[in-house]
Amino acid sequence: MSDAAASAPLLEVRGLRKSFFGVTVLHDVDFAMRAGEALGLVGENGSGKSTSMNILGGVHRPDAGTMLLEGRAYAPQTPKDASRAGVAFIHQELNLFPNLSVEENLFVDAFPRRGVFPFIAPLFIDRRAIRRATEAVLREVDLAIKPSTPVAKLSQGERQLVEIAKALSRQAKLIIFDEPTTSLTRPEVERLFSIIARLKRRGIGIIYISHTLEDVLRVCETVTVLRDGHHAGTAPAETLSLQKIISLMVGRSIDQIFPARGKPPGAKPALEVEGLTQRGVAENISFSIREGEIVGLAGLMGSGRSELARMIFGLDPFARGEIRVSGVPLTNPTPASAMEAGLAFLTEDRRGEGLLMDFSVAENTVLASLRSLAGTLGFIDTRKVNEVSRETARAMRLSTDRVEDTSAKHLSGGNQQKVVIGKWLRRQPKVFILDEPTRGIDVGAKQEVYRIVNALTERGSAVLLISSEIEELIGLSDRILAISKGEITGEFARKPFDREAIMAAATRLAGHESFSAKAAPERVSA
Amino acid sequence: MTALPPTTAETLPPSAARGPLARFGRLLLSEYFVLVLCVLYVAAIYPVVPEMLTWQVAQNVLTDMMPLLVVAIGQTFVLIVAGIDLSVTAIISMSAVVGASVMTGTGGYLGGSALAVPGALIAMGAVGLGIGLLNGFAVVTLNMPSFIVTLATRMFFAGAAVWYVTFHSTSSSIANLPPGFTGFATGSLFGVPLTVVVAALIAVLAHVLLSRTEFGRWVYAVGANPRAARVSGIPVERTILSTFVISGVCASVAAAMYSSRMQTGSPILGENILLDVIGAVVIGGTSLFGGKGKIVWTVFGVLFLVLLDTSLKLLGASLFLIYIIKGGVILLAALVDALRNRILVSR
Amino acid sequence: MKLGSRALLLILQNAPALLFILLLIVFGLMSDRFFAFNNFRNIVIQAAPIAILAIGMTFVLLTAQIDLSVGASMYLTASVAALYMADLPWPVSLLAVIVMAGAVGAVNGLIVTRLGIASFIVTLATLFILRGIAMWLSNTRTLMFPDAITSLNRASFLGVPSAIAGFLVVFALAWAILNQTPFGRQVYAVGGDPESARKAGLPVGRIVFWCFVVSGVCAGLGGFVSVTQIGAVGPSYGQQVEFSAIAAAVLGGVSLFGGRGSVVGTVFGAILIKTVQNGLNIINADPYIYPLVTAGIIFLAVAIDGLRTRIVERMERRTIRPLDTGAAAAAE
Repeated sequence: MSDAAASAPLLEVRGLRKSFFGVTVLHDVDFAMRAGEALGLVGENGSGKSTSMNILGGVHRPDAGTMLLEGRAYAPQTPKDASRAGVAFIHQELNLFPNLSVEENLFVDAFPRRGVFPFIAPLFIDRRAIRRATEAVLREVDLAIKPSTPVAKLSQGERQLVEIAKALSRQAKLIIFDEPTTSLTRPEVERLFSIIARLKRRGIGIIYISHTLEDVLRVCETVTVLRDGHHAGTAPAETLSLQKIISLMVGRSIDQIFPARGKPPGAKPALEVEGLTQRGVAENISFSIREGEIVGLAGLMGSGRSELARMIFGLDPFARGEIRVSGVPLTNPTPASAMEAGLAFLTEDRRGEGLLMDFSVAENTVLASLRSLAGTLGFIDTRKVNEVSRETARAMRLSTDRVEDTSAKHLSGGNQQKVVIGKWLRRQPKVFILDEPTRGIDVGAKQEVYRIVNALTERGSAVLLISSEIEELIGLSDRILAISKGEITGEFARKPFDREAIMAAATRLAGHESFSAKAAPERVSA
Repeated sequence: MTALPPTTAETLPPSAARGPLARFGRLLLSEYFVLVLCVLYVAAIYPVVPEMLTWQVAQNVLTDMMPLLVVAIGQTFVLIVAGIDLSVTAIISMSAVVGASVMTGTGGYLGGSALAVPGALIAMGAVGLGIGLLNGFAVVTLNMPSFIVTLATRMFFAGAAVWYVTFHSTSSSIANLPPGFTGFATGSLFGVPLTVVVAALIAVLAHVLLSRTEFGRWVYAVGANPRAARVSGIPVERTILSTFVISGVCASVAAAMYSSRMQTGSPILGENILLDVIGAVVIGGTSLFGGKGKIVWTVFGVLFLVLLDTSLKLLGASLFLIYIIKGGVILLAALVDALRNRILVSR
Repeated sequence: MKLGSRALLLILQNAPALLFILLLIVFGLMSDRFFAFNNFRNIVIQAAPIAILAIGMTFVLLTAQIDLSVGASMYLTASVAALYMADLPWPVSLLAVIVMAGAVGAVNGLIVTRLGIASFIVTLATLFILRGIAMWLSNTRTLMFPDAITSLNRASFLGVPSAIAGFLVVFALAWAILNQTPFGRQVYAVGGDPESARKAGLPVGRIVFWCFVVSGVCAGLGGFVSVTQIGAVGPSYGQQVEFSAIAAAVLGGVSLFGGRGSVVGTVFGAILIKTVQNGLNIINADPYIYPLVTAGIIFLAVAIDGLRTRIVERMERRTIRPLDTGAAAAAE
């Protein structure tokens, strides 16, 4: 590849604008990148990353702006157009069919056909051709599996490589990765990065979207930061630091986002977990949270952090261990008994597990506290339901007070989250487990959530906070536990938190000799 | 992820639109749409079949409606939790023959005794309860889709009912039921037929249970999103199990109604009503996908179907025409429902 | 423990086959007539109509839809053939039946895909309508078929009885379509994950539509084969047949939720049901218990499948840490 070709832009985006229902989510965004280069795209949730990538991938049409791919006008109307033009979009939720084989997944929308004697028309799938083509691209991504393997049998990391292979089989010039590492194990991440490096050497352009900024800095040559739909800045990766990126992302320094804590934590333990063990999921996990304390749980996705929360709340089984709430043992928890004991649990899957999307705000608000609204015979007073829901809506500063006839699906992500939080606060929980409470909501709503969490602790509730955003953990927690491979790998006190040490502990590879029950995790007194 | 902009539903005041189109839209969305349809239908058909508005016909409509209504009420519960109960007709058959075998004057277990009728009623209820429990357990603990579970129990108990009769009767049904039982179909309380009293009681009970109690909220929540319901501490399994039990017991009440009217315990009593039951519930507006449905809707749906049936019979329409029209109406109702949802979404 | 559950899984996965073998052994021990070649030929002949129907149903079920109208479609098309085509050569009637039934399937498919109404309701409604039309045309009389058609039952092609030949042709075609053509694999894709299929640019509506057409065509064909066997159709003809077809498919491992199953399994399911009935017949069992045993077997097969899914889910539950670390393993 000549120098001139390498330096000509592969993709040029100018003045991209897009609004939904009158709300502008992209304001004249520009960026450009060269072939064989990786462009990191970072920004808070709601900053416009996804929208711009969806436009690039043919999912949405822009209201204004131009895109040039290899110097030619590029305006995909459908994802298929994008794919034909050489743009592949690897979503966080992989777009594979588990019930089909790898080779079938690669060609599902355009199988090569062959004729069968005595048919003239080529009716049948040319199995040999797709096998050969699949073998070739699988080799390029270092995936040593048979093309006929059903995708259902592959691990998450392997599936992602299949997606990359699919992009390669379509002669992709530009591959967009949206949060590619969230569900991968660390070795899988390393493998992914080496493949990305190889793709770059082949002259393929990469757009890499991630919240894990360290990864972005490692993979990308250039980083573009978006904030509230605006282009906040672009710079070569080597000139950027994490702090710099974060301040570009949020537009102000961290301390301004996280409200100051009021009362210090109390002395009595609210939640005690001792020796929690489940084969393959958790090993001898012990910790405790005091009243009014916020304990952050730092771990990668797949580290066992959500699983730990689910076990405590009685949603997943565990083999051994003891859970005590305010000193009272909670044996064989079920969600009902855990709630009875004073636990509340905001799951990471708001749509799937938090809300009845088609139901009204009022119906959602009282879902976890029906017993308190029911009379002796289990009768429920609808008027009272609406009253308490309105009350909760006000306390949560919800965007609507028409709680009876606004269905949850019509609320924005932030307001939906407030409904779920409000649902649990109605129970006045002693311990509130929050799993990714600010995922997919905008900065304003985030601050509201932080305010609510702080107010909760001032009333003496304990909080277990799980988050992928380390800044959030550092900003809110009194103490942070690192979890990796289902083991607690470190405990850190505030004043101030050692960011690097927390990350190191959270990404430590357990299961090696060096890390079993023998090696005591480092402890820092609080 | 892009921040979801507030949608119109959040920002607009309640629809203040006027005009015939808007009025039609509101009618379409109204709870009483199917009832309005019933009235319109009777009004439209009245010039052709004036008998429709006579006391005699009204009474016929009512008595025809009751057993179907009771079964449909049970089915409504199951449909709201996103299940389906195909076994109701087999439950009707099985409880009819078991009940009859208990009370029949010719060799019944309690034949001739004073306990014959109460004993038979208990036996019938027990059959419904038992099969409902079996369905529910299979769905909840064995992880089986309710369609297949109830298809299998339907085949099984429909066959078992026919077989059961062979041990108790030389003909294909068990006759000679005590007058205390057959009187149920003809008797009345203050001029209201007893079956209507019983069915109305069940309807009111079911309505209150669904719309006013904690259990009712569980049913809707489980149907709308079982995972969210579980996280909110709702006993999902127990709720699903209960709906199948309710459906089973309702079917056995219908069995009592049918067999007292026919004065015999026959294994083919309710054989052909399955499609009517599901059709009626769906005409009412209850969704097959769960989370949506009401007892009043079901009452209206059953009423509409029975009105249709009765008027067509009065018109002298043959069976085939009734079939064709019923099919058309079910399709139309589903279409209207799809339209309604589209309006609701775009609103 | 891991080995144990794998073995259990292997047993559960092949439970219908094991059940089949067990039944063969039981019936074989109870009667020496059971293991005669002629008897097996009879079983396949008896199973042919339902197997053909169930093959069509498999296409629809694979896309997570359902077709309740197949029995009514059978009745209508057979009635039309008996009423208006008695004097025509049989291939013409056969072709007409297939075209009519295919058209019925097309109507179902159009309503489902264009109007977005649940297929359960659509086909429930068409069930009523088709049955009504058939009763209207036939005046609810029982219609007899001419010898030209009933003699087909005794005919054979290359030594293969006609019913078996017809069934084999349908089976081979269906297998080839589902496994060797782009359309077939896309059927699996659509059933497995319609949202992803849409994102991948597959014509989801068109694929579902064609599956209904296939189901319709199979209903016509299955009806024709059964007519050659019984020679007459009355108002109860084809009633509840849709449930038998669904049962056969499910027994063969087809999922009602789409994306899982094969025609091989479906055919196996249909033959299994007929084998049971045939075996019960041969050992002179009380005819009343036929439906009980059949229902029991379906129940058992689906319960086992549910158990299997549970175990697979448990085994595939993401493990976060290596399973064979000393302490954890010792504790189990």
